Parts: sequence; C-alpha cells; structure tokens
Amino acid sequence: MTVESWIQVWYALPVLLRGLLVNLELLLGLLALGLVVGMAVALVEVYAPRPVAAAAVAYEWFFRGVPELVLLFLFYFGPDQFGVQISAFTAAVLALGFRSSAYQSQIFRGAIQAIPAGQMLAARSLGMGRLRAIWHVVLPQALRLSLAGWSNEFSSVLKDTTLAYGIGVVEVMRQARYLTARNFRLALPAFIAVAFLFLILTYLGNWTIGLVERRLRIPGLEVRR
Amino acid sequence: MGLDWAWLPQLAHGLKITMELTAACMAMGAALGIVLALLRVYARGPFLPLFWLASAYVQFFRGTPLLVQLMIIHFGLPSVGIRFTPFLSGLIAMGLNTAAYQAEYFRGAIQAVKAGQMLAARSLGMTRVAAIRHVVLPQALRLALPPWSNELIYMLKYSTIVYMIGVMDLMGVARTIAARNFRFLELFSLAAVIYLGIVLLLTFALRWVERRIRVPGLGSAGRG
Amino acid sequence: MRKRAWLWALVGIVLVGGVALGAEKFVVGCDIAWAPFEWVSPKGAYLGFDLDVMRMIAILEGYEIEIRDTAFDSIIPAVVAGKVDIGASGFTITAERAEVVDFSQAYWTSDQAVVVREGSGLNIVTALSGGAKVGAQRGTTGAGWVEDNLVGKGVNVTLVLYETYPEAVLDLLAGRLDAVVQDEAPSQQAVKEYAGQLVIAGIIKTYEEFGFLVAKGDPKRILPRINEGMAKLKASGAWDNLVAAYFGPSLDKIEAAWEACISILVEERDVVRYAQCLADRATQ
Repeated sequence: MTVESWIQVWYALPVLLRGLLVNLELLLGLLALGLVVGMAVALVEVYAPRPVAAAAVAYEWFFRGVPELVLLFLFYFGPDQFGVQISAFTAAVLALGFRSSAYQSQIFRGAIQAIPAGQMLAARSLGMGRLRAIWHVVLPQALRLSLAGWSNEFSSVLKDTTLAYGIGVVEVMRQARYLTARNFRLALPAFIAVAFLFLILTYLGNWTIGLVERRLRIPGLEVRR
Repeated sequence: MGLDWAWLPQLAHGLKITMELTAACMAMGAALGIVLALLRVYARGPFLPLFWLASAYVQFFRGTPLLVQLMIIHFGLPSVGIRFTPFLSGLIAMGLNTAAYQAEYFRGAIQAVKAGQMLAARSLGMTRVAAIRHVVLPQALRLALPPWSNELIYMLKYSTIVYMIGVMDLMGVARTIAARNFRFLELFSLAAVIYLGIVLLLTFALRWVERRIRVPGLGSAGRG
Repeated sequence: MRKRAWLWALVGIVLVGGVALGAEKFVVGCDIAWAPFEWVSPKGAYLGFDLDVMRMIAILEGYEIEIRDTAFDSIIPAVVAGKVDIGASGFTITAERAEVVDFSQAYWTSDQAVVVREGSGLNIVTALSGGAKVGAQRGTTGAGWVEDNLVGKGVNVTLVLYETYPEAVLDLLAGRLDAVVQDEAPSQQAVKEYAGQLVIAGIIKTYEEFGFLVAKGDPKRILPRINEGMAKLKASGAWDNLVAAYFGPSLDKIEAAWEACISILVEERDVVRYAQCLADRATQ
C-alpha cells in the first residue's frame, strides 16, 4: 500500500464517484418505492379487516426473512420466465425497494399506533370518513413520528445498495473491482476509499434527516416508549 | 420447471457452510462485542484512549457496507502480505462487522442495569471488575438477548455475501447449479424457501430461549 | 394539480418517444476482465479486442450495442434466457456449448497456456501433477480441460476455480497456486503485466477456436450480420490493424491509443481509420 497506489486511486476518484452516483440513484428509487408500499402495508395492517391484515403480515415476513441477495437474483432472473426483460438496475430497485417496504411498514405501524386512538374518534365525530381521517389527521403525525426510525433504515439501505454489484449493476463496488483487476496493488486503497465515501454519505444522510426531524417537530408529540 | 433431487446433497452441504459461518461469526462478534461495549461504558482515566479506539471501531464498522469490509479483507490485505482463504475472509469480515453492532446492543443493555447495582456491589467490597463480572454482565446479557437474536438473523441473511469471494455456501451452491443448468428461478426460489425456513426456526428457538432466561421485573424501564 | 399533470404528460412523452426513436439495439454480454480481449481501463472505459470488434461490426451493419459486464459463467445462461443477445467473451466453440447456443464463424485460434511463477522451476509436467494446486476460471475450457484430463483421469492435482481470471493470477503470484491454466493470449498478457514474476511453463495444444455466440436458432438474425461484418473488417485491413494493436503492446499503451482514437469510431464512425489510428499509436 504505497503512496503511489493512493495517488493512483485519487486520480481514479471520478470513476468511483460515477459509480457512487448509481448507488445514490438506486437508494432514491428504492426508498421511494419502500415508502409508498410500506405506508400502504402499514395502513392495511392497522386498519384493514383481519384476513387482509394477515396477508400484509405475511408479506412483511417474506421480505424480511429472505436474504437481500436472493431477492436480487429472484427479481433479476424471475421475470425472464414470464418473458419480461428487466435491467439489473430495475431489478435492484424492485428487490431492495420491496424489502425496505417491509421494514418501513414496521416503522410506520409503530408510529400510527403511537397516535392516541382519541384522535381518530375525534376526527370521525367531526364527520370525516375513515380515509379522510387517516389522510388528514393520522398520516401527518405518523410521518413525523417515523423520522427517527427512518434514519436507521436509511443508513441500512445505503449500505445495502452495494449488494446490487452481485447482479451486475455498475455501481461503486464494481468500479473499484475494475481498478483492482487492472492493478491489484490498488485494491486496499481503493476499497478503503470506498469505505470512507460511505462513511461520509452516512453522516450526511443522518445529519440531513436530523435537520428535517428538528424542523418538523411538534412539541409535545413524541413516541412514548 | 421442476426440481432435481440430485441438487439436494450439494445444497445441504452449502447450508452446512452457511450455518457454520453464521455461528462462528456470531461467537466472534459476541466476544469482541462485549469487550468493546465494556470499553465504551467503563474505560476512563488511563484507559481513555481505549474508549476512543472502541468508539472509532464501532463507527467504522457500522458506517461502512459489509461488502466493502469483505473486499478490503479478502482483496486488499493480500497487497500487504496477509492472505486468507475465502471462508476465513468471510468469517473475519462478518465477525468484525457484527461485533460493532453487538457492541452497541451490549452497551445499551449494560447501561440499562441500574447504577445502584454497581454502587451496592462496590459497597460490599467488590472491585469494579468483579462487580462487572458478577453483577452487571449477567443481567446485561439477559437484556441484550432480543436485539442479539435479531442480529443473528441478520447475519444469517448477510452470510450470502460470501459467495462473491468464492465460498460455496448455500447461495454459492445455488448460483453454481443455476448457471450450469440454466435454472435460475427454481434454484433461487428454493434457496429463498430454505432461508425462510431457517429464519422461522431460529426465531422460534430464540424466543423460547428468551422466555426461559427472562428475569421477571428486570429491565422494564429504560429499555429502548 | 395542473403542474403535476404536465409533469406526467412530459414523462409519458419522453417514455413513448424513447421507445419509438430507439434504434435496433442488442445487448452484448462480456466478462470484462480478460485482457487483451476485454478489460476496463483505469478511467472506467470498456476496451479490448472482442469489444472493439463488436463495436465496429455494429457500425458496419447498422445497429446499436450495449455492453454489459457479466460473470463469465453467467453469459451463456443469460443468452439462453434472452437477457443478453450476443456473447462476446473469448468463448471457445465447443460441441457442448453449441447445444444451447449458435456460434459465429471462428475468429481466433488458441491453445491453453500454463503459467507459473518465475523461479519456481516447474515445467509443464511438474506444474500439473504431484499434488500441484492448479487454478482456472470457472466455466472456461481451461477449467474443463483440467477437470477432464487431470482430475478426471486420477492425476494428483487440486483444481481451484475462480470467478475471474485476474483473481487466479493474484493467487498464483501470492503462492497459493502452483499454476494457472488459461488461453494463450490472456496468459501472455498476464506474464507481460507481471514481468519477471510469471512465466509460461508450456502450451497445451487444444486447437481451440473462438466464436461469438447467440441464442440457439438465432431468433434475432444477428449471426449473419456478425459474420458479414467480420468479413468486411478482414477485407479492409481493419482486422489486422486491430490484432496488431491489441496483441503485443502493453495495456498502458493500448489504453492511451484507445483514448486518442476512440472518437474516430464513436463520432465519425469510420471503422478503417479507427483501426489504423489504434494500430499506429499502440505499436509506437
């Protein structure tokens, strides 16, 4: 691990950053998917009749129990059997997104259930339909309460984006491997550099979420643990 | 789209490797994790540098992806002369990684044990070390079991990563058979089912253990 | 609400437009870690003999290609599954492979080389017997040869398989292997890259031929175009220039030449001038 190898990695930084951009795109896509689906699943689990809620629980259990890599491969090779071709990137967004939705639904469910039942009663007594009550009263509060747990999920999936390497997505790990294949002496500095890039991203992300949390905080509204 | 029974022995062997890897890395993680947690909670005065060291370690291994850590250990270290077999690289990477997470769970558990206990132990004449060993740790370890169980499940799932450096764990075997026979969907579905089954079994087993070692009244307040 | 509708309309137009304007495009699957046939430069560019031939034929025959980095032993399954249209990764034409894919005309001949560490004193016989640890890339004919002719015949060797060729070379350099079996050209390239550390102990005459491959039955009618493109390249002298550029010079020189000349291929789409430029600069 000579000074020269570090200098070479420095010059290769643009290439690594290009790969990191793919990780970030993947992150945004899967978090968005996870948010939408996770919210839906949480709502179903809390408000829907028993059998439907049970399906939601099964869904959660499946996507939390199957390893990410297996999910990635299933989503990448699965559609071929039905004649649909999807790119590795799309497969990664779907696989990691649905998995994230299972974890996010837990966070949302906890937040929804932390809101006093009286709120829903009050909303309905004002004549709001169930859906309107959920949309205007429960959700805004639940989203705020979820931010803390969401921060954990963010850190977790940021790191999981590297798994997309396994199905061929050209993200930062793959770029680092390319460098290594060309010159094995670059391996240690290159991967350490990637590690630090992730450290920086994790701190930035958590700091941002903390900022958002503080801005949206409503005094008196907290999760009673 | 059928299953070939000839695959089962290979898959079983792969599963054995997966379980060995997971068990070994959790053991390593627990040992190292407890040490790190103790350093983070109790290191003071002349031992302060150890506190910083432990904190830096936890920050690094929790803040960077496991895959990167694995690559550093397996592909990076050889350039400075340290070379491991794929299995060993996987074990070390996973062990070091889980140690950081476990350190946090143990730390939370240790801090949940009421401070009064330590005072009482010391007033009885115990040294700090003895108090930690005989009073704090037994309770802390019981409190740490639920998050520790989660971590075990996590590690079992993350163990799939080692196929990328050539370890023939369940994932590696599944992928190899799939590539040879072009039957990707069947094999990965089978792998998914097997992993789900193991996760389910482990979850029930761990819950049973939790119930059995629970101390009534311990840890109702201050547990996050 | 109005703003959102416009946004969705725009997205819709872009999607539809993209699909409509898309030229004919084929996905080329390749294990891009096998210099000099394919590798990735430090700047992240995909270059190599196979890849440039694919690019040049695409220009000559009027279609677009997308090069997708794929693990070597996954390329044929991917072609069979339809995920990848063309396999271009130094594939040896074998009867076994021809059962599931169709090959183009042969474009390269090769034997297997046995690479050992300089100074280890191993020759081709001692490197492949007596408890030796032999490395090969998973799914290659080299690996197959060792399996069939050594392990299968009871010779005392241990075969260690690797996902990529560079990994096997690294383990050889580190002393974890006694020999690595791989096609001639990449072996020669490896020996050159690690000058003084590696040497070719011997050649196993396997008389292999490389071909590009597509799914069985060639549903998209790609093979005739590939064969025609290759013929055009050979007739125009571009093929010979490409060979001179990629087989012989060091990787650094080839990369520098590629960077200087690639605009001729991508922008001006002049295949012959590109090959000439590459050969001139690489062999300087």
